[in-house]
Amino acid sequence: MKLELGYIDIRGIRFGDHNAVEEGILVVNPEPLLKPVLEDPLIKTAHFEIAAPGESIRITPVKDVIEPRVKVEGKGGVFPGMVSKVDTVGSGKTNVLRGMAVVTAGPIVGFQEGIIDMTGVGADYTPFSQLHNLVLVMEPVEGFVQREYEKAARLAGLRTAAAIGELARNLTPDETVVYETPTIAETFSEELKNLPRVGYVMMLQSQGLLHDTYVYGVDAKRTLSTLIGATEVMDGAIVSGNCVSACDKNTTYHHQNNPVIHDLLAVHGQSINFVGVIITNENVYLDDKIRSSDWTAKMAQYLSLDAAIVSQEGFGNPDTDLIMNCTKLEKQGIRTVIITDEYAGQDGRSQSLADADALANAVVTGGNANELIILPRMDRVIGTLGYVDKIAGGHAGSLQPDGSIQAELQVITGATNEMGFNRLSAR
Amino acid sequence: MISGSFRLKTLSGERETLHTGSFQIVTNNPLVADSLSGRYRVCFLKNGSDREVMVKVRDLIHRRHRLLTAPLSGSVKPWETPYRSIMVSSDPCSAVDATSLDLIERAMEVINRSHNYLKTTKPSIDHDFQIVDLSLIESALPSAEAIGRI
Amino acid sequence: MSTYRIVHYINQFFGQIGGEEQAHIPAEKRPGPVGPGLAFKQHFGGEAEIVATIICGDSWFNENLDLAKKTVLEMVREEAPDLFIAGPAFNAGRYGVACGTISDAVKTELGIPSLTGMYEENPGADMFRTKVLTVATSNSAAGMRKAVPAMAKLALKLLKGERVGASAEDGYLPDGVRRNFFEKKRGSARAIDMLLKKLSDKPFETEYPMPSFDRVPPMPAIKDITRATIAIVTSGGIVPKGNPDHIESSSASKYGSYNIEGVNDLTSESYETAHGGYDPVYANKDADRVIPVDVLRQYEKEGKIGKLHNWFYTTVGNGTAVASAKKYADEIAEKLISHEVDAVILTST
Repeated sequence: MKLELGYIDIRGIRFGDHNAVEEGILVVNPEPLLKPVLEDPLIKTAHFEIAAPGESIRITPVKDVIEPRVKVEGKGGVFPGMVSKVDTVGSGKTNVLRGMAVVTAGPIVGFQEGIIDMTGVGADYTPFSQLHNLVLVMEPVEGFVQREYEKAARLAGLRTAAAIGELARNLTPDETVVYETPTIAETFSEELKNLPRVGYVMMLQSQGLLHDTYVYGVDAKRTLSTLIGATEVMDGAIVSGNCVSACDKNTTYHHQNNPVIHDLLAVHGQSINFVGVIITNENVYLDDKIRSSDWTAKMAQYLSLDAAIVSQEGFGNPDTDLIMNCTKLEKQGIRTVIITDEYAGQDGRSQSLADADALANAVVTGGNANELIILPRMDRVIGTLGYVDKIAGGHAGSLQPDGSIQAELQVITGATNEMGFNRLSAR
Repeated sequence: MISGSFRLKTLSGERETLHTGSFQIVTNNPLVADSLSGRYRVCFLKNGSDREVMVKVRDLIHRRHRLLTAPLSGSVKPWETPYRSIMVSSDPCSAVDATSLDLIERAMEVINRSHNYLKTTKPSIDHDFQIVDLSLIESALPSAEAIGRI
Repeated sequence: MSTYRIVHYINQFFGQIGGEEQAHIPAEKRPGPVGPGLAFKQHFGGEAEIVATIICGDSWFNENLDLAKKTVLEMVREEAPDLFIAGPAFNAGRYGVACGTISDAVKTELGIPSLTGMYEENPGADMFRTKVLTVATSNSAAGMRKAVPAMAKLALKLLKGERVGASAEDGYLPDGVRRNFFEKKRGSARAIDMLLKKLSDKPFETEYPMPSFDRVPPMPAIKDITRATIAIVTSGGIVPKGNPDHIESSSASKYGSYNIEGVNDLTSESYETAHGGYDPVYANKDADRVIPVDVLRQYEKEGKIGKLHNWFYTTVGNGTAVASAKKYADEIAEKLISHEVDAVILTST
């Protein structure tokens, strides 16, 4: 598959009386964009706020971060099965509004989490502090059902991102990059056949309310491990329905810009032969775990992989899936590197993972999510701080009288990402 | 539903097989007890801690029941949520299942250390924790039931 | 700003007194820096100075542990330093153990921050790296030029109360505390680098070493216990009265093999424990409490088991290095196999 991404650099966002991208500035007229959002009977209020890198702004509680993209040429539309109709994406041309994101914020459950600080210490830990963020703040109606409201909020974010992306349809990209993935036959071609065959195993959180991921609109927990094209992922085939575990959940933005896929494609044909992507779920039911990891290993063998990178999402029982995937691959002689993060306690002395195996001898870590951090007061809060005391890693009294927050790193959106999005590590 | 779970009679004698029997849910979550008791066997530990749920499950595993769901389900950290629901086979197997025992012991290690340092729970969000825990265990139901429906 | 005061501990060799033939010398204190201390001085840039150097023979320290600790601690106390540095010891085993022991003692008993340095395979590193910051050095004194700046840098951090970075950043041996830091590359790129090394069988460093469980797959069950020969192996330190092989009460350097042919009961007249890690009263009164010879003999008589093996194997688990324990186990296992033992009862305390 061949996908051309046309990057349009966004250098700022401002409100105006129309919607357009003008010389790198996104102009937003909220009314027509909010109208479809507010048509959802579960959403009581919705409004936009703008946050730029370096501003003294705290966004919380964050649900999802989405990069606006638009399908310019080729089959399908963005977020197939979710926003666009089901059709295979990943080829043709897609325009990307680079340097910005649509961020959805607002309460879903009482312990809703996720902080993006646009400046200060916290900004170092989240990649989203570097983006111009259009924040869609929403509130549910009284007596809402969480499961239904999560869906409403998820769709509102994706649809808004799609609408913003649409503004880039006819723009000339600042940069164009072509991503091309080989067919199986091509992976045995003259120029590739002597390179090590490497696959990417992407684990998707799939455990229930606030823990779900969707592939072409399908709830990942109802899937068997399968193959997906690297460029399909770039085109929004996978979206996040995940609201907990701010630090190590994969937002939709992470899926669209999957760093493992990006970096593997960058060395494909040079030091490695990037054969394909296997997606596999992280279910609650143990037989599902066994089955999914068996299938992962089976498919890796079918692709004749020499090596694989496995990325994780979440903490706790996903550690079991991670270790199963890793050991089953290793036992087939497939050299494996896993990417995870750690919960080693505030003192860093506890065991980092809930599962372990000697075969998992090559680990990349996104850092210890329990490490304490003090986030300074910000001049402006987008969303509400009312939840900070309750979010994961925050604890009673974590919101100090001076507006600073003492909390664990895990409150920060994307801080210990397990796709390896960040430079943070631990020893 | 097939009964006599875990043992399959073959010409060469009985052998262990997959779980095709009925299951029970051990929980301290009143919402799980309310919502699922009618349809499923629920062992409700009223006012029990998450640790007590795990201890109960561990005891069942030692009595040869098999663990059916991951004891650390969800990414709601064990030091945040007070609720836990775990699915275990209703019938005992012929021997203690080593994998089940391993998983529950590891999970208890995480639980044991986590109580030392965080208490985020506030009464106002209690219900939300119950809802998420219910959703986690509900997510296992289609898988648990699918086998019996073949 | 006043200069920070440091006391430095080195052995007889680095103290320029002599080699192995001088290892017996007791601790002595000299004013100012000696030997490697002079190199440290350059790297402190005037911010800190070594006010005294304690030179001690490796044999003397290790063979008179309590006295040595007491003596050196007193020497350190007199100087009231802001920091204590021991070594670097490179791969010298007894020097490393002495450095670890004394810097741990200075830290815990005097409350003075401490620092040492040694090669990762030095037994002292295994014993003390989680207790005292231990800078990773090469395995010989040729690594002094690299070790000193790393130790000096960490020393200044400790003195100024600055945050200690992750082990990979500040060059010390992983101390069991996980610390976050920013790498140069993002995780996905690091994963690919690691994978390429793993693929080409080059050495690579995992960012999180898995806890080693060292699981042993269980043997198949004994088919007929009434015909099986059962042996006893213990880390509970049960030995014939008088401890004929002098098995140490901690950090045992050996194990013992003792014949119990004709012995039906372990009595306080003939057996005792060498173990220094638990209250020995009940084991000394009746060693069967640790290794059940009496019950097994009875079972033997009743035909419940085939035979109690006529030798038992014993060591002291207290503080004994895992590597040593493994070595003893390998040898014991060989003996058990050659004696056609079917099963072992392993007791600890």
